Amino acid sequence: MNLWPQLEPLLLQAERPARYINHEFGCVRKPDAAFRFCMIYPDTYELGQANQALRILVNVVNAVDDMAAERAFLPAPEFCDVMRKEHLPLFSLESCAPVNEFDVIGITLPHELAATNILETLDLAGIGLHASDRGEDDPFVFGGGPCAFNPEPYAPFFDAFNIGEGEEALPEGLMIVRDMRAQGATRSEILHALSQLDGWYVPSLYAWRTEQDAQATGSWLEPLTPDAPTTIEKRIFEGFAESPAWEPCIVPFTEVVHDRLNVEVLRGCARGCRFCQAGMMYRPVRERSADNIVSSVIAGLEATGYDEVSLTSLSTTDHSQIAEILTRVNKACEGKGVRISVPSQRLDSFGVDMAELVAGQKKGGLTFAPEAGTQRLRNVINKNVTEDDLFGAIDAAFAAGWRRCKLYFMIGLPTETDEDIKGIASLAQRAYDRAKAAVPPEQRGAIRMSISCALFVPKAQTPFQWDGQIAPDEAIRRVNLLRNSVKYKAVDVHWHDPKTSFVEAVMSRGGREAAAWVEQAWMRGARFDAWTECFNEQAWRDAAEAIGLSPEAIAQTSYETDYVMPWAHISTGASQKWLARERRLAEREQTTPDCTYEQCSACGVCPHLGIDNMLAKPRVASGSNSRVAQEGE
Amino acid sequence: MAEQQLFRLRVTFKKQGRLALLSHLEIARALERAVRRAGLPFAVSQGFSPHMKIAFGAALPVGVGGAAELFDLQLTQYVPADEVLSALQAASVEDLMVTACEYIESKAAAASVAYPISTYRVCLSEPIDRLEIPEIIHVVRKKKEKELCVKDFVVGDIAHKGDTVEFSLESKPTGSLRPDVLMKACLEGLPVHIVSFERIAQRA
Repeated sequence: MNLWPQLEPLLLQAERPARYINHEFGCVRKPDAAFRFCMIYPDTYELGQANQALRILVNVVNAVDDMAAERAFLPAPEFCDVMRKEHLPLFSLESCAPVNEFDVIGITLPHELAATNILETLDLAGIGLHASDRGEDDPFVFGGGPCAFNPEPYAPFFDAFNIGEGEEALPEGLMIVRDMRAQGATRSEILHALSQLDGWYVPSLYAWRTEQDAQATGSWLEPLTPDAPTTIEKRIFEGFAESPAWEPCIVPFTEVVHDRLNVEVLRGCARGCRFCQAGMMYRPVRERSADNIVSSVIAGLEATGYDEVSLTSLSTTDHSQIAEILTRVNKACEGKGVRISVPSQRLDSFGVDMAELVAGQKKGGLTFAPEAGTQRLRNVINKNVTEDDLFGAIDAAFAAGWRRCKLYFMIGLPTETDEDIKGIASLAQRAYDRAKAAVPPEQRGAIRMSISCALFVPKAQTPFQWDGQIAPDEAIRRVNLLRNSVKYKAVDVHWHDPKTSFVEAVMSRGGREAAAWVEQAWMRGARFDAWTECFNEQAWRDAAEAIGLSPEAIAQTSYETDYVMPWAHISTGASQKWLARERRLAEREQTTPDCTYEQCSACGVCPHLGIDNMLAKPRVASGSNSRVAQEGE
Repeated sequence: MAEQQLFRLRVTFKKQGRLALLSHLEIARALERAVRRAGLPFAVSQGFSPHMKIAFGAALPVGVGGAAELFDLQLTQYVPADEVLSALQAASVEDLMVTACEYIESKAAAASVAYPISTYRVCLSEPIDRLEIPEIIHVVRKKKEKELCVKDFVVGDIAHKGDTVEFSLESKPTGSLRPDVLMKACLEGLPVHIVSFERIAQRA
């Protein structure tokens, strides 16, 4: 069914109608395909359209004969209300079809604050909120993405989760649904078959144990059928490094975040920061070659007409051929008014050299993430950068013409003391002094140094998963201590609201019981929690009270490293033993080197998944990496 | 360095169908990308943040289509106009299709000011007997309320026949009256809505 005739008259009152109209350059339509999949980002078009997973997965599904993939997004809050009033269900973009008419819908779980939006999405689509409510003819609801590494707070809402990279796993899962439906299999037969496929987790095949039973048996899951796997290991797209970095993408009409050609240059990061979930879940490191990347940038710019290209990854300046890549891309783009950006800045002078290669004459601000204010705490979190690295980066950046610098820190990291907080102020002020020395006297007034801090959120599947978060009140006390410790007027302090970080921590660490909390909060009006103006703290509080749940206990309790966490059955490949060892090393303020520069740290990912780091050429250490290397000699 | 010779093109395109819902800024971005996709030797400005030398004609409101909209583009090399046209067409989406292009004098007035009079055609959901044209329309601009006198802007008559309304508006250096604002004021209280709204011509 085409909902466009009903939608069109509503669009003139909508803010930014372009987000609902489809027909963008590059979108693919396969109206004759018998099997239809709808990929949904649970936030608005502007936030989701540039999402890499969405592009990749729509492309891989469309590449299958007889399968069509379409996109859908959550409308803006006020338009959700208009649609409900007009009885217009959630629609896909390509054919403006009701989402609940698709065979399968896939919802990506991009961050912890999208939870209520998943329920908003399902409800607006007219699909039962619980997997158990869905009948034989209803779509299957699949989940995936970063938050699927602790799927339990979402478990009742999904039929199945794809754990890890979906390039191959998603089409395989869809083929099972397609083929078995064609043979007349029941929903439960199909789900059972999915559970037998690598990287697929079907929560309804397990009962959720009590804490006592979970700790006694080593797992929170009790299989309800004998062959339901007890550990679900993530999937890896083994062909990543060899696959072309350019793939067709949609060019939106309306302005979206990251509205540019995004070329993924490498996947994974082995720096091993102990708080970082991405660093654990995307291992091992796989680099695409310089030739692949450069030709992809050229092909992509020609095909899309974008005037900006971003070389994306978790740590682009760690690519073994980054200097060659940037030099060649620069040359290829000369005189075309194309901007080149590198999203994550490595914290040393090499990182600044690379930033300078692509900055041209326009130098906005540079952002660095020391994460902690003292060397002691940086060792605890395994952020292997020294003050010398930071100051070397500052010297280079301000000498090269940058005048603004933002420093990111986390508050509430394990073992943090007030000295560490004061250390943030001290570090930023000394960085300012260095900047001043690097800049001609008449330009010193333009120097801006800002501190941006967020409350530490303990993430599942990291060495800090056992550490509780500090309470929001304590976070505010520490922020105030930081503000009072900063004496320079040119250094300003910004911070995120700890109340949203608190919800993130609950969602990150909760078990299946947290799903009821999400549902109750949504029923009380919580949605778009990631939008500051929409975050409804009262709804979350009331929801906790209604179901007798203590979110504080979930977010703030610290455990010994032998405690079985609620996601222990989901594996990134990194062993729980290794995570526990990393936690002990943190306690002793000892660091672990990056295995792409030095020896293997035995995280377990490579042997588990039967794959190795794949580097385009050996990585050469610089900055703190060379320091570590020299010490090792 | 000697000033490089540039070749100035005036390109005509349609804004129609659901893409009538795009804003002027969205149209500008989409067309600039089409020019890049077409692989034309476009000129780029010098300076801090280099950008394509492209200039757009008078803006249309969201929801209003255009039969013959304009933009000017400067090229660094001469490319025959019919080749430019086919390259642009291959790079364009159907509802934002380039229909013509021709070289113009480098000193010719910009597309945005060369054609101050625009003619619009509106189709209504059903025929109406008469159209009530207000003398004054209140608009809010930059947080200030302003009174616009309709006859200062309307050129000729507002022609109305059955379910179709046609009128021309002239934009003044001091400001203009938006066609959608005028129509909204005219239709206030009537049990009809607008089915399509299009600028059908622009002239000097």
